[in-house]
Amino acid sequence: MKSIFSNADTLKNQNLGLAMIAASLLVILFITAYLFNYQRNMQLSQIRSQGVGLVRLLGSMPMGQLAPVDGRQGPLQLIRQTHAHPNFAYAVLVDTRGNPLLQVAKPGIIVPVAALPQEPSAWLGERVLNSQDGATLMEFHGPVIEQGDLAAYLRVGYVRPAYGPAPAQLPFFATLALAVFLLTPMFYFLVRREIKPLTQVNRHMQAMLESGQIGEPELHPSGELKDFMQRFSHFIDAAQQRIQSLEAHQTDVDMSRKVISYQKSRIESALQSLPDAVIVMDESGITTYANAKLHSLLGIDLEQVVGARPDQWCSDAGVLAYLTSCHNNSARTYRADAVEFAPDGAPEKRVSVSAYPLFSPRQTSLVLGTLFVFRDVSDESAAKRARSEFVAHVAHELKTPLNVLHMYSETLQDDAGATRELTIEAANVIHDEVGRLSSLISNLLSMTKIEMGTMSLERKRVKLHELVRDVFDNITRSADGMDLRFDLQIPPEISAVSLDKDLIRIAFNNLLTNAIKYNRPGGRVIVSAEENDEEILVKVRDTGLGIEAGDQARIFDKFYRSENEQVRERTGHGLGLSLAREIVHLHYGELEVSSQAGQGSEFTVRFRKDMGVLKQAI
Amino acid sequence: MRTILVVDDERYVARVLSVALERAGYAVESANNGEEAVYKLVDLEPDAVLTDIMMPRMNGRELVAVVRNHFPQRQVPIVVMTSSLELEHRDWVKNYSNLHFIEKPVSPRRIIHILDEYFSGIETEKPGHESLQTV
Repeated sequence: MKSIFSNADTLKNQNLGLAMIAASLLVILFITAYLFNYQRNMQLSQIRSQGVGLVRLLGSMPMGQLAPVDGRQGPLQLIRQTHAHPNFAYAVLVDTRGNPLLQVAKPGIIVPVAALPQEPSAWLGERVLNSQDGATLMEFHGPVIEQGDLAAYLRVGYVRPAYGPAPAQLPFFATLALAVFLLTPMFYFLVRREIKPLTQVNRHMQAMLESGQIGEPELHPSGELKDFMQRFSHFIDAAQQRIQSLEAHQTDVDMSRKVISYQKSRIESALQSLPDAVIVMDESGITTYANAKLHSLLGIDLEQVVGARPDQWCSDAGVLAYLTSCHNNSARTYRADAVEFAPDGAPEKRVSVSAYPLFSPRQTSLVLGTLFVFRDVSDESAAKRARSEFVAHVAHELKTPLNVLHMYSETLQDDAGATRELTIEAANVIHDEVGRLSSLISNLLSMTKIEMGTMSLERKRVKLHELVRDVFDNITRSADGMDLRFDLQIPPEISAVSLDKDLIRIAFNNLLTNAIKYNRPGGRVIVSAEENDEEILVKVRDTGLGIEAGDQARIFDKFYRSENEQVRERTGHGLGLSLAREIVHLHYGELEVSSQAGQGSEFTVRFRKDMGVLKQAI
Repeated sequence: MRTILVVDDERYVARVLSVALERAGYAVESANNGEEAVYKLVDLEPDAVLTDIMMPRMNGRELVAVVRNHFPQRQVPIVVMTSSLELEHRDWVKNYSNLHFIEKPVSPRRIIHILDEYFSGIETEKPGHESLQTV
């Protein structure tokens, strides 16, 4: 049989065993003490009644009967012989002076000497005496009354019953003791056996608690405990199932959480990588989110912004007004426009902020907050500015010839009669100005097309020699009346090039026109071309005004004309060189100038051979 | 004969205005830009100045300021030619008296009319014509 005590319990159980033994001993003691007491009391009362009865009885007997003189056995002897009471010790008849007249005693008993009470009321009584050998005696004394006088005393003594078992009773007490002694532990063991499953369950549960796992205890209960164990088993089952389902659920939740977290990170990283800065404000006006671009665009720290109201970090009054006006309105009153401003510390930048209401996904009329997008529109702004400046320039450039045309034509209309010289002059001027206007317009158109990128080069194989000569001839024809010498130096063997004929023609045209325009009387214009391993060059040189050093960088700017008086004397709109350069760049070439004020200028067009300018000979 | 100083950097504009004014009976001096005009003003005492705004060296606005500052007692009537793009700059005009704006393209006929009216107003001391602005 497997011991039901575990190592841990042994000490406890030993103590318990000792306690059990002690308890049973106590019980035995108690029972026996009670029994002894009861016995003794019984004996005492027995003795008392007997003693007193005897004394009374004998006291009423005549003396002659009590103390027979003829040698017959008196009642005292009879009593001794027949008196069954085991404690009977002696019976003594004493005279009034106390001398014994007749005495019967149990063997071994010495009658103690004791004076008898003189008082008549105390004649009948009981007292305790000690014999010489130390035994305690109960004596009953009484008077013998004869004819109304005290004749003698009777003294009847009993051994006082001791406290303790009579020898005959020992078996009884032993059996009782044994019974009790055995019964208690047996009872204890029985109970323990009954609750053994509970102890196992307890230990099992302790193990479960410590290890954190749930398992079935191996028990075989019976009776009441069986029900309990069954239910407990069910409970454990149910608990296990529940835990499993919770764990599964928890895994799901963890998974979902991870997925959501991943999605959130993805969205956040998308938000962070937006080129614009975004902030989200809740309906109370506190910023709940801001992406990192806020710092790079506006120079504001994220810690200052998140969790704060706009008035705590926004220094621009107009923007602040915009931010506050948008958040505390319903969607209907959202400002559709955006506000442009220059951020602190970056006055050259332009930033546009626009507001978008964030609608609740459940209630589309409910606005939960606002999304503000800050966009760097510096480029757009600059482009807008450049555009309006360009338009202004163009308008001005157009107005000037128109003005002249208008005035001259009006003069011609006058009835006062235009003189012949005036008419001729007017006609010439009108012609020139119209020419100027058309060249301006066509230049503008080309320029716009090139810049818009809508112009595609139509590269054709072109004999450079022929093209340049063609342009040269045209220009020189119209410059016939001028006091200028023209030279063309193009080697005919120069390679053919792949160019857009029309555009290049415009470019050369412009260069040549300038060479003529800014020349001086008696000056020269030389057009030359050369070729080496890497490049093909075309040069246009004049001996004219030259270009001052300060102007050289700017002559290619649109509409730029030098402030130099001599330059300004000549009419021009400042587009020729910029257009020429654009065209050359389109062909991956370069247009350079080298000039000295007062001496003349040389413009060089370079085409690199490796940039596809040379088309393979078909 | 009254003298008009015509200031414009466009050669043809100056030319046609000069012709028209001469035909209308005025004497004409011309200057290429504001600076040149100021020099001419020192020697000359024109009865009126007709000037463009956009010119190198000294534009029309600066010229007007110089004329008024340096020759305050003369209060020469000035006609300023402008393209409509400069409308936004017209507020500075209010600071000066005896100034008139005329939009390009300029009509010589109109200029002559303005000048004629002004000068005849002065001569006959017609009320309401003392200032060029009311013409």
